[in-house]
Amino acid sequence: MDYYLQQLVIGLSLGMVYALVAIGFTLIFGVLNVVNFAHGEIYTIGAFAGLLIFVTFAPPLVVVLLIVLAVGALTGVGLERFAFKPFRRFSDEATLKSRAMREATLMSSLALSIVAREGIELFFGSQFQALPLSHMLNSPIKIGPVTIVDGDLIIFGTSFLMLAGLQFVLKYTSVGLSIRAVSNNPLGARYVGINTDRTIAWTFAVGSGMGAVAGLLVGLYYGAIFPAMGFTPGIKAFVAMVMGGLSSIPGAVICALIIGISEALSSIFVSSVWQDLVAYAFLIITLIFFPRGIFGGARERV
Amino acid sequence: MKNRRHMLTLGTAFALGALGLPALAQQPTYKIGYQLPLTGNTAQYGIDFKNSAEIALDQFAKAGKPFKVEIVFEDSRSDTKEGVAIARKFVDDKAIVGVLGDFTSGVSIASAQIYKEAGMPQLSQTASHPDYTKVSEWQFRNITTQAQEGPLNAEWLYASGYRKVAVIAEQTDWGQTVVSNFVDKFKALGGQVVFSEFFNRGLADFRPIITKIARDKPDAIYTGYFYEDGAQFLKQMKQLSVTIPVHSTSASYNQQLITLAGADAEGMKLTATFLPNNPAKNVQDFVAAWKAKTGQAEPGQFPAQAYDAVNIMLAALERAHPNVTRKSLRDQLAATKNFPGVTGDTTFDADREPAKKLVRAQVKNGAFVAVEK
Repeated sequence: MDYYLQQLVIGLSLGMVYALVAIGFTLIFGVLNVVNFAHGEIYTIGAFAGLLIFVTFAPPLVVVLLIVLAVGALTGVGLERFAFKPFRRFSDEATLKSRAMREATLMSSLALSIVAREGIELFFGSQFQALPLSHMLNSPIKIGPVTIVDGDLIIFGTSFLMLAGLQFVLKYTSVGLSIRAVSNNPLGARYVGINTDRTIAWTFAVGSGMGAVAGLLVGLYYGAIFPAMGFTPGIKAFVAMVMGGLSSIPGAVICALIIGISEALSSIFVSSVWQDLVAYAFLIITLIFFPRGIFGGARERV
Repeated sequence: MKNRRHMLTLGTAFALGALGLPALAQQPTYKIGYQLPLTGNTAQYGIDFKNSAEIALDQFAKAGKPFKVEIVFEDSRSDTKEGVAIARKFVDDKAIVGVLGDFTSGVSIASAQIYKEAGMPQLSQTASHPDYTKVSEWQFRNITTQAQEGPLNAEWLYASGYRKVAVIAEQTDWGQTVVSNFVDKFKALGGQVVFSEFFNRGLADFRPIITKIARDKPDAIYTGYFYEDGAQFLKQMKQLSVTIPVHSTSASYNQQLITLAGADAEGMKLTATFLPNNPAKNVQDFVAAWKAKTGQAEPGQFPAQAYDAVNIMLAALERAHPNVTRKSLRDQLAATKNFPGVTGDTTFDADREPAKKLVRAQVKNGAFVAVEK
């Protein structure tokens, strides 16, 4: 029984990690309707930025989190300006509704992600970065028969804060209102006088800031910071988002947890080599049986 | 008019002659190709090899040999398609007489097919899958294979009193040879393998595996991983308070393992062919040159392997000089006998495998030290 409980707890912490990345990712997709392939790289940049800060100043964790949040937000705005904004040059109706534009931004964010990753690799090298061990969020806490780490609690707390904060911003502030307007109908939002460019920039700032914080926390949690670290979390976040219904952030979080738990529990029955298969199996099942996602509303099909 | 034209032609002829004369007196330059991962997620190994090769080349150039050697480095990204493309490129370059590399067994074996067809000697410093040297007579390696290491480790674990062992390894050609060679010998000795599993290279979270291992209660764990996965594994073992002793292969021998895992690496045992605190002169010279070049505290086993591989190739070139062709180089490589390398004396046997000794080591007080027998 202890064994299954421990695996469940491990699965929950895995899921929380995916959820952390999924929140920012889903926010950006929900507003712009394009997949931001560079989100994994913002995650990596957050981790490296945090590493640099730790190595040079060694301030307390909260300070580092805030700085990394700012770094992520700025990077996100820059990313938007380079990879997404040029495609919104023309604001006639045909262009705004065109699919080709979506694919173009998908490719451009992918291209930027490759440039960013290779750039980090050139600069830092592709090996795991040595992290000052005192900063790792890794002290075990025994709760009865299972062991968790303090990092689990921090990640849980941060995800919760992010989720709650985002829901608050979206429902009760004017920025949130304009984000919801733009995500609902960008052309209509423009007609009623909302500055869509500014809103989109804000969305990227918020989403990327969260992605960067996610990268930092996961980097500290596993103690593994390297240039390719954003790839797998990016894919899992994408799957969680698709499962959750594309524009539902709470849905994405819940599905991320489901993925994490399933991965850990699956290792009970099969070799852990098949662990990654779980996420992709969920993706296929969702696409076939739940085209609107499990929690999706009246949105177009995935 | 005619005079001036004659003067011009004579002048140019003299100038060209003056330029050409030194060229006649120049030494021949032999080119060696080196295929290795300089970018991608195994780039740290390739860059280490490049540094070792440059150290060896520097020392060679200063030693006053009758010829010059130039190494052409090509980035294979540890990708079989790239490796094969590079192999074709090297084979087409008539000036290249021998090839070093690649890093992984998979890429080395794929490239070996090209070298076999074209007749180009290939020496890999780290490809340890048994099938590599079976491709043709052109393939050499100077690293011990798991066929040698596995049984040695099996004997060590059995002699330490462990009867029930869990085995995990990365899911690659190499990882599979780690497991099969160890398990066959361990079972033959009378031991029992209670758990055996493969994991994907680059796995960040080993906790599900560790929890599974702990449930089966083995006496020891034998692992086939490289230092990144090893560091993750050891850290998470400590996190879950699992205190089962861990043994590993020479692939974990890297100072970075200790840097990444810190105190959690303490007590891990492994076999190695290279120990930087070996007082032999060539070892200490290499360690000093490595420190000067890379600023790292110590070279690990893999850079030492590359250093030896380059030197073995250079020694074979020297024996083949002045009649250096791909065939003659291959023959001289095969004739390598008791080559004094930093990873031990190397002699290639009839199968072009190295006959080398492995030492037992463990991590003690943050450093790799030899274990007395």
